[in-house]
Amino acid sequence: MSRLGSLAGRIGSGLAPIALLLAAWQALSWAGAIDSTTLPAPAATLAALARLLEGRGFFVDLGITVLRGLGGLALGAAVGIPLGLLMAVDRRAEGFFNPLVKATYSLPKTALVPLFILWFGIGSVTNVLAVALSTVLPIIIYTYHGVQSAPKILIWSARAMGTTERRLLWDVLLPAAQHGILTGLRIGLGFAFLIAIAAEMIAAQLGIGKLLFMYGETGAYDFMFAAVTAIVLAAYAADRALVAVSDHLLRWQEPAHGRTGS
Amino acid sequence: MRVLLSLAKLYPLLLVAIAWELAARAGLVRPIFLPPVSTVIAALPALFWSGDILAPLGTSLYRAALGLAVAMIVGIGLGFLMARVRWIKWLLDPLVSLAFPSPKVAFLPIFVLWFGIDHLSKIALVAITCVFPFIIAAEAGARTVSRTQLWAAETMGTSRSGLVFRIILPGSLPSLMSGVRIAVPFALVSAFTAEMIAGGGGLGGDLIYAQRFFETTTVFALLLVMLVTGYLADALVLGLRRRVLRWHEG
Amino acid sequence: MPATDPNIVISDVSKRFERRGQTFTALEHVDMQVAQGEFVSIVGPSGCGKSTLLYMLGGFVAPSGGQLSAGGKPVTGPGIDRGVVFQEYALFPWLSVADNIGYALVRKGLPRAEQAAIVARYVDLMGLRGFETAYPRELSGGMKQRVALARTFAYDPGILLLDEPFGALDAQTREIMQDELLRLWRSNRKTVVMVTHDVDEAVYLSNRVCVMSHRPGRIVEEFPIDLDHSASREDVVVSATYRDQRNAVWLAVRRQVTRASGGAAA
Ligand SMILES: Nc1ncnc2c1ncn2[C@@H]1O[C@H](COP(=O)(O)OP(=O)(O)O)[C@@H](O)[C@H]1O
Ligand SMILES: [Mg+2]
Repeated sequence: MSRLGSLAGRIGSGLAPIALLLAAWQALSWAGAIDSTTLPAPAATLAALARLLEGRGFFVDLGITVLRGLGGLALGAAVGIPLGLLMAVDRRAEGFFNPLVKATYSLPKTALVPLFILWFGIGSVTNVLAVALSTVLPIIIYTYHGVQSAPKILIWSARAMGTTERRLLWDVLLPAAQHGILTGLRIGLGFAFLIAIAAEMIAAQLGIGKLLFMYGETGAYDFMFAAVTAIVLAAYAADRALVAVSDHLLRWQEPAHGRTGS
Repeated sequence: MRVLLSLAKLYPLLLVAIAWELAARAGLVRPIFLPPVSTVIAALPALFWSGDILAPLGTSLYRAALGLAVAMIVGIGLGFLMARVRWIKWLLDPLVSLAFPSPKVAFLPIFVLWFGIDHLSKIALVAITCVFPFIIAAEAGARTVSRTQLWAAETMGTSRSGLVFRIILPGSLPSLMSGVRIAVPFALVSAFTAEMIAGGGGLGGDLIYAQRFFETTTVFALLLVMLVTGYLADALVLGLRRRVLRWHEG
Repeated sequence: MPATDPNIVISDVSKRFERRGQTFTALEHVDMQVAQGEFVSIVGPSGCGKSTLLYMLGGFVAPSGGQLSAGGKPVTGPGIDRGVVFQEYALFPWLSVADNIGYALVRKGLPRAEQAAIVARYVDLMGLRGFETAYPRELSGGMKQRVALARTFAYDPGILLLDEPFGALDAQTREIMQDELLRLWRSNRKTVVMVTHDVDEAVYLSNRVCVMSHRPGRIVEEFPIDLDHSASREDVVVSATYRDQRNAVWLAVRRQVTRASGGAAA
């Protein structure tokens, strides 16, 4: 309850400066200091956003993008978390996957989109796979480091109390890796929307990325700004939701240990 | 001996390459989807000498570097201000936390509207992508400089600008270098992505072009070049960090 | 005191560490036997290898040379027969106080009702009532240490290995917990090996005190302690026996500490 209260308080105190900036921007627009055709005033953007939110079409596009992003992230997590765990507990697995992870880590992930279009055509398969491949690497790495950072003494004391190697994974390694896994997921979430939208901008029939481009080409700039606003808010909401889940899961952790929130 | 041993550790890469080669050679997949790895590697020298790699690589690096420089200057400035000036912190904090998780590529159509489809829109996308890691790193870094350190410097006659450049900046360097390590791959990926979306040459533009015309070998060759570029950039940052932070942590 | 067959045997144990390419000997020629039901303390200057010796008994760290056995079997790894209380508590931070205390009981597969009863008993015994659902981060150092003791006592291992188990407690709680340990030990006669740097504590609690030297660590002197533990704390502490034995051990430790600091200066 108090957590909700403090969240509301934080958002409330954050709203004031944003409102101030928007008001200044609006005033400059009215005064004619800003060209409102290429930089629509906040009021015009809000009006366009309201119109967008009235129809169903916009939600379909936004929903498709969000589903692609989250679907790809889920796939990345479903592969990345077990793989990271395996690499942390099995030397041979580590020896095999570590060079592969290192070699692919520095590939700019959106660059896979053209290749996937070639393989899977334009659409959700390409999109979800590109997101999954981009998110899987940080998730693997953070899971791996999370397990590695499990204090030796906790492993010892679990063993002294009769914990088998298999239970050790559930009882000690996985809980100790929680912070790492959640950090990896948060980084992955950041990539997820980026890759999903970028892939849609490169080639797509549906999705918010496609929509943005269409507004840009037809000169509907107030709608373009409105759609960007919607994306920013959706990404912010998703990030906050993940942080809230993390904070709840990590409520046992020392606050000084750096919860994911910022 | 050591070199051999560390090379032997890379055997999984070799296995993947062999599997790739065999799959392509055995005709399991059509070469238009997956050319043999040997073909891709064999294509590299020709692409290299004809300038089909170096020229677009130069273009992409130019865009990434310029955007990174803008992000660095603006981001470090804002971050220091946020650490020292209360009202700027109040004003910018919500903006930063709102913009930080947003997918910056969504701003690209706006930049194209403002700056056209040539260099400038891409540089803008790189800058907006990289500015947030710098803001956060600079603010965190400046906060590690203690009041007593600043007082000590002031009593020894340091001017206000001297405080920034001689005390706060060096004190924030460890944190700033972490920011650089995050920002550099961001710069590369956003430059390539902007080129893939908005065209205008560069490695990203050429990649899309090759894909449209089913020049799959070139697609793979360019992917390889991007990967190596990313790897070398990170190695460069690590080397730089080691040099710059020699005083840090003994 | 108890003169049954030895429960713990440490023979000619040594331990070397690699440190920046150099090997250095932490423990050398350590010989020690602990009888069934005996309470032995190991005291010595900080860094002399007390924790390392205990870790080897726990089976977490292998000796570089020599043998260790417990309950007639060579130590090859951790076992539920040897309960360990670590200097750093080693509580599971993601489990509540009650779940920490009950952890080994779950592993043992005790019926739920029995688990709950044992946990409740130790929560009461250690004065943790009201903190059952708290996480370790919400506890003071002393409370964490009590949870660590409760967690080990709760599953009733035959051998207790205690690494500075009262180190983080304030003087008052410390005495209460010492008396509690003594009461527990008198009622069930576990074999106890306790590491401490507190000479008073070692003498007050043990049947025998072993003094370790520094670098390489080995047991240089042993003092059989002969106190009437059924008497009250006050009676014991003011007795001449206690005072003499305490002074003897204190002087022996003192010799080791001065030797160690002299060696460090050289
Ligand atoms: N894993 C290790 N690697 C290297 N040196 C160690 C390790 N564990 C302990 N040591 C060293 O061995 C010596 C004894 O340590 P320890 O057993 O913790 O001493 P004590 O518990 O008596 O204070 C110390 O000098 C310590 O630095
Ligand atoms: Mg110790």
